[in-house]
Amino acid sequence: MTMRMILLFLVVAATPWVPARAESDQQTIVFGQSAALTGPARALGIGMRLGLHAAFSEVNREGGVHDYRLRLESLDDRYEPEAAIANTLTLIEQHKVFALIGAVGTPTSKSAQPVATEAGVPYIAPFTGAEFLRDAEKRPNVVNVRASYYQETEEMVVRLHDDLGINRISIFYQNDSFGQAGLNGLRRAVNRHGLSLIEEVYYTRNTEAVKIALLDLRRANAEAVVIVGAYKPAATMIRWARRLKFNPYFINISFIGSAALAKALGPDGTGVYVTQVVPFPRDTTLPIVAQYQEALRAVDAHSKPSFVSLEGYLAGRIAIEGLRLAGQAPTRESFLQALVQAGDIDLGGFHLRYGVDDNQGSDRVYLTRIDRRGRFQSVDKMSAP
Amino acid sequence: MNETPPTESRDLTESNAPATQAKPLVIEEPGSEGTFRVGVGSRLYFMLFGAVVLMGGATALAYFTFNETLTHEVRLSEYSMPNLINSVDVARKSAIVVNGAFRLVSASSKEEHTAVVEATAREIASLENTILELEARSAFGEQTRLIRSHLEELGTHLDAIKQSSARRLDIDQALHVFIEELGETSRRVERLLVQAIDDQAFYLVSGLRRLDDKVDSIRKRASEDELTAYRNLITVNQSANLAVLLLDEVLVLADRQFLTPLEERFDSAVRNFMHAYANLPDSMHNDRLEENLARLGEIGEGPEGVIVLRQEALLRLEQEQHTLAQARTTSESLVSEVNNLVAQINEEAIQSSEAARGSAQTGILLLILLNVSGTVGAFALGSLFVRRYLVRRLVGLASAMREMASGDLEVPIQVEGHDIVKPERSSPKYFTRNIKYLVWNDEVTDMARALEVFRRYAHEVQRLNLVEKLAKELDAKNENLEQALENLKAAQEQVIAEQKLSSLGQLTAGVAHEIKNPLNFVSNFANVSIELADEIEELMKQEENLDIAEIKSILDELRTSLGKIKEHGKRADNIVRSMLEHSRSKEGEWRKTNLNALLKQYVDLSYHALRAEDNSFNAEMKENLDRDMEEIVVVPQDICRVFLNLVTNAFQAMNEKLKKVDGDYAPVLSISSRQLEDRVEFCIRDNGPGISEEVRDKIFEPFVTTKEPGKGTGLGLSLTTDILLRHGGSVQVDTAVGHYTEMRVLLPLEPPDEARSDTENETE
Repeated sequence: MTMRMILLFLVVAATPWVPARAESDQQTIVFGQSAALTGPARALGIGMRLGLHAAFSEVNREGGVHDYRLRLESLDDRYEPEAAIANTLTLIEQHKVFALIGAVGTPTSKSAQPVATEAGVPYIAPFTGAEFLRDAEKRPNVVNVRASYYQETEEMVVRLHDDLGINRISIFYQNDSFGQAGLNGLRRAVNRHGLSLIEEVYYTRNTEAVKIALLDLRRANAEAVVIVGAYKPAATMIRWARRLKFNPYFINISFIGSAALAKALGPDGTGVYVTQVVPFPRDTTLPIVAQYQEALRAVDAHSKPSFVSLEGYLAGRIAIEGLRLAGQAPTRESFLQALVQAGDIDLGGFHLRYGVDDNQGSDRVYLTRIDRRGRFQSVDKMSAP
Repeated sequence: MNETPPTESRDLTESNAPATQAKPLVIEEPGSEGTFRVGVGSRLYFMLFGAVVLMGGATALAYFTFNETLTHEVRLSEYSMPNLINSVDVARKSAIVVNGAFRLVSASSKEEHTAVVEATAREIASLENTILELEARSAFGEQTRLIRSHLEELGTHLDAIKQSSARRLDIDQALHVFIEELGETSRRVERLLVQAIDDQAFYLVSGLRRLDDKVDSIRKRASEDELTAYRNLITVNQSANLAVLLLDEVLVLADRQFLTPLEERFDSAVRNFMHAYANLPDSMHNDRLEENLARLGEIGEGPEGVIVLRQEALLRLEQEQHTLAQARTTSESLVSEVNNLVAQINEEAIQSSEAARGSAQTGILLLILLNVSGTVGAFALGSLFVRRYLVRRLVGLASAMREMASGDLEVPIQVEGHDIVKPERSSPKYFTRNIKYLVWNDEVTDMARALEVFRRYAHEVQRLNLVEKLAKELDAKNENLEQALENLKAAQEQVIAEQKLSSLGQLTAGVAHEIKNPLNFVSNFANVSIELADEIEELMKQEENLDIAEIKSILDELRTSLGKIKEHGKRADNIVRSMLEHSRSKEGEWRKTNLNALLKQYVDLSYHALRAEDNSFNAEMKENLDRDMEEIVVVPQDICRVFLNLVTNAFQAMNEKLKKVDGDYAPVLSISSRQLEDRVEFCIRDNGPGISEEVRDKIFEPFVTTKEPGKGTGLGLSLTTDILLRHGGSVQVDTAVGHYTEMRVLLPLEPPDEARSDTENETE
């Protein structure tokens, strides 16, 4: 099915969206977010919300988009799929949102996205790299910003193999659909280099029961451990590994929540890699990062730049760009079509491009490493400690 | 016709013969003793009265029928229909009540349960009312009593089910709460145990419990105590998982019998994990884990726990099913009673409706019959009294008057009417005697009679006037006619004379030729005679030697020659005589004539006449004449004119054709004759150009000719026809254009009357 046909389908199927009247003369476009605002993944949800808020406030200060003010409606799903479905329905039916934005997590997105697709509501920038969301044909309403987990794991293997010549790669993953996504990506990546994973271990979600898995990794004598999981069990596992003097390369996937991980690891974090899908949030040489920091300060003077809130900011910016491109009276269809037809979108040095069969804007994967002071460094290559 | 008086008036006049003789124009009024008359007025009143009686009858019948139908309808609408509606209502409500029991058992929520209970209670109350209504209106005591008793029974079942199912729903609700709690509890237990097992397993391998601990020696960490603790942790985890699984099974179990074994297994699982937990070292005791494990046991085995509740629910369900089966039996009886009732009431309603329909149909039939008979009667009366015996007579009178007004007084007026004979005492013939005279004596009869009298007077006067006038007119006309006749005769004679002259002219050349021939002979023989005389004179000069024999032979020759002269002179004389005969106008002399000879003679004449005119013309003659033909009596002068006309026409036509084609054409004239049974036939046929179709029809009309101007009078064939008609004969034409024309003349053997008298005169 071509994108044109998909859009045609959307025109037919979409529930008509009528902008709600705000107090002022300006009409308001509401975006809805269902994300973990409490629970172990709350750092991600809150970070995304902050970034979105920064972007929307910034554009509202400048007079909105086509005289529309933007507003974000965030609901907490505690990283629970059932709650994500309920929230999405509430946002669509009660809050009459124009689009859903900034969802967090693979299992939650997997549950909520079909609801949005059925209602014809755009599903923008979910905080996950899961492959199923990249299927533009079946999910024409999804607008991804970040590179996929496949691309992240591919980058990991390339760096390990090319930069360090490491072949004994293993995985430590969360036993759910997120972990499974990372596992699939990594398997594909190593296979492509003619390798196979020497050990695959998992831990139970929402526990820190990671130590038996660690023993298995040690027994397998893994040179590198790719971690697809939450920051807390990951940190626990890494710290115990350090305690056992078991020191392979630890590479985390972007979902980990970099700041929280670094904090949890403390001095044990030195040399731990994290792949990122957004630019380094302190690299103000990039105009977009400078704008982000300014926007962030404008909404919260005390908050520090982070990968998560930068991703939230970028999600907000791409939503604004889509609305701008969609014209004076944007509809859900014209919004989606505008992005598809926009070609290269340059958000101050961060490039996105959508196409008829491509609903993922950026393919960039950035590599970062925690330095001795527990801070992130942007690195191009891996190196021995 | 005009002279014959109509039978009716003749009867009248004859019956009153003496009066008619005295006053022939007056018609005697009837009305003898013992008769009376019925006037037009009386009859019209009688008819009107008849119509009124019919209408009254119809109205009465209609009233009776409607009344009857109405009675049935009222019964149907006030009694049968409400009963029927009530009985159907009873059936419907019974069904709802019965259905209520099923819905109570299957109700899945408290709200649904309450709603069904309320609805069922409403229906039962309403059902009782309906039954009361039914009882009040009619006598279905037996059925309603049975229905009521079934209903009461059903009510008891319903109450039982209602209470039991209400309690069951409460239990279901409680179980639902337990399910959620069970889920949460089991997740908490699992998380805590997974962590503890992970810790202990790690300790057993690494000798480390905390990050900052020192590594315990292998003896210490692999001691029996530590291994037992690990084993107990595993047992707690397994048993707890088993307990949760068993409870899940209890919650979905449908068969109460299998509850007891499940309960026993659950009990042992709980004892297992409680025992194993108790055996754990104090350091591994965790309040939250202990609390959740205890709760797990309580959820299952507590006095208000899942197993107890589930048992009660299943038991109740079984009992409800049992009661439901009883209720079904009762409801079947109820439904069958209700059906009986409905059937009875329906039967009754059908009867009422049938009765109403029956009486309505009877009424309709009677009304139709009355209507038809009334119509037929009115028609008969109208036709009899009005159309036939009144209107027809009046129309007759009116038309008679119109005719009289237009002056026609010839047709007599029809006077119809008979006296009605007064009834003789007990005479059975009275009616039949009077009814056969359907036209009775009435005012119309009077009018007709008076009019007839008037007509006769008027007629008499008119007749007298008319005779006088006609006589005068006739005289004048006769004179005119005679004058015209004379003129006509004069003209006719002139025409005939002209025609005669014309044919004479035509013949002159032929006659001259005929005469010229004998005259040549006469002249030649005269010359021979002179020479012979000279020879004799020569011989006579020789006195001696007188050869008497020679002289005698010359004299014989001379005699012969003179005989020839005489013969041919006579022949010429004959020709001239016949010419004279032809022209001598002695008219209408009927004579026996040889028509074959006559025809031949005129063929010759005509041929030579034409040859004299045009000597290039030659024609072959063919004849086939009947030699044995009788001579018949004709006017030869007329018939010869007929032949001359036909033959001349034939020659002229052939000559014309000869001139036109001038090739291989050889004119042929055929004449033939034959005697038929009562007539003779002559055919004159030429092979000339024929006669075209448009001309053929007109050739016998006068003044029609196809010849050049001056050659024909156009009267020839017209006269021919006239002549033949006079002889009782005819002429027919047969022709083919370009090939031939054949004229066939037919003449009767017996001459017409006129000829007979002529010939008789001649013979006298």
